[in-house]
Amino acid sequence: MYVNRSKMALLQKAQKPMLSAFFEGELSNKLAKKLGFALPPKTLLIFGVSFLLIWGNPSRAYAMHIMEGFLPLGWSVFWAIVTLPFIIMGLLSIGKTLKSHPETKMLLGLAGAFSFVLSALKIPSVTGSSSHPTGVGLGAVLFGPTAMSVLGCIVLIFQAILLAHGGLSTLGANTFSMAVVGPFVAYGVYKICQKPGAPFGLGVFLAAALGNLLTYVTTSLQLALAFPAEVGGFMASFVKFMGVFAVTQIPLAISEGLLTVVIFNLLVAYSKPELQALSLISSQNISSKGVKI
Amino acid sequence: MLRIDQYAYSNRLRFTHPVEKFAFAVITLIIGLAASSLITSLVITLLMAGVVILRAGIPMRFYLKLMSIPMSFLILGVLTIAVSFSGEPFSFLWGVKIWGFTLGVTAGGLQTAVNLFWKSLGAISCLYFLSLTTPMVQIISVLKRLKVPSLFIELMNLIYRYIFVLIETADKVYISQSSRCGYASIKTSYYSMAQLASNLFTKSYHNSQMLYTTLMARCYRGELNVLELPYAFSKKNVALVAFIDLGLVILALWTGGVLSAGGHS
Repeated sequence: MYVNRSKMALLQKAQKPMLSAFFEGELSNKLAKKLGFALPPKTLLIFGVSFLLIWGNPSRAYAMHIMEGFLPLGWSVFWAIVTLPFIIMGLLSIGKTLKSHPETKMLLGLAGAFSFVLSALKIPSVTGSSSHPTGVGLGAVLFGPTAMSVLGCIVLIFQAILLAHGGLSTLGANTFSMAVVGPFVAYGVYKICQKPGAPFGLGVFLAAALGNLLTYVTTSLQLALAFPAEVGGFMASFVKFMGVFAVTQIPLAISEGLLTVVIFNLLVAYSKPELQALSLISSQNISSKGVKI
Repeated sequence: MLRIDQYAYSNRLRFTHPVEKFAFAVITLIIGLAASSLITSLVITLLMAGVVILRAGIPMRFYLKLMSIPMSFLILGVLTIAVSFSGEPFSFLWGVKIWGFTLGVTAGGLQTAVNLFWKSLGAISCLYFLSLTTPMVQIISVLKRLKVPSLFIELMNLIYRYIFVLIETADKVYISQSSRCGYASIKTSYYSMAQLASNLFTKSYHNSQMLYTTLMARCYRGELNVLELPYAFSKKNVALVAFIDLGLVILALWTGGVLSAGGHS
């Protein structure tokens, strides 16, 4: 009964997961002092890691964008320069499509708004918490990775300004991980799964899950490059950030993969004409695929 | 719906020239990022809070709530930097030994973490100043002046407009789903969420078609041209911005030097 209640209390704290985790750690320290003996470090570590996995999951609050000001100026500029060619490429390819199909502009506008709203929805995760989907896999398969890099960049600007997630100085880094690496990986995985005739559902699942996961691996990489550990340098730092930002993401990546499969099944079942129209921008036809549900 | 957006349209600095606000936020942000002194970051945080609360008239409670949004990332990120692990006990200030590894805090890591914490707070304050005082329409008009490609600008306008339409649609769908126990268990919530998303997608598609039809009926030739409100530059504001940012630069140089120049840290 008591355990249940404390669990409930923790669930209610879900809004500020890290704060509660922080105080929880503080509390256990105080407890150890009062008891007169400290908990063995191994137990503490296991407790901490499981705590981080279950309660301290950062993605419950929002998808993890690198916040404003977190990257040093040099790295912010570096990632912006790295991302720029992808945006220009995307704009050029959209411009080409627009010449023959002017209505695509409205479609892309709505697609961008759709991505923004999708990332604000909460999906239930397998660990019992809920998280926000990145929408990377869905967007990449529906709209194609080149269009997605432009849309993703705009969505990230809006998320920074309207929702305070991400930032202006870290826009380049975030665009690179969420609108370049994520969509390209998702699209690549999806295409590879198509070749040997793997079931459509599997391809979509892997695309969405890996797109999500690789996004956070990239984020960890960016953070580790900017902040190499004093002991062990870049690799040690990469391992640390991977542990915090990518490993905790695995259950969420799986949830997003599952959700994306269900979404695609519904789309194929009920929205064939719309999917056909989309083949204009993603240059592929997915309307004939899908599994009966 | 989006509280930040509401305040952007109703704050007291709403009709100030957008370029002044944009320049103030971005220049201060860059100074904060380039400076390596803790005091500069603190001054920027307080300055921006003061301007937003006193000058723009944003309720303090709301501002503090906003400040707590990035906290989960900030604390997690800063802790990850502060805590290091190593095979051999290095110069750890404090540490525990687990499976032959030492997990602990080094002086350098701790210093980076503390500096980063305040620097990020300063930077996020600059972002909040921009987003709380400048409506998106004004920000887009500034980007236009900065010669961002017109396709990008038009997409931004379209996306901004339709975010609200789609949020409303999604909200309504969500309410009707949950009032029919659509989110009662994990399994049903997956299905409901997928239904919501696919429905939203179909609706977005039809919205885009309708938009195109309406535009065609109004002689759409491939470009969306909108008139902008005329704003007057205020000499007082420009001087104030220049004075404050110059002061910040001097403070930053005086207290810590420039980090990105790679000189001293």
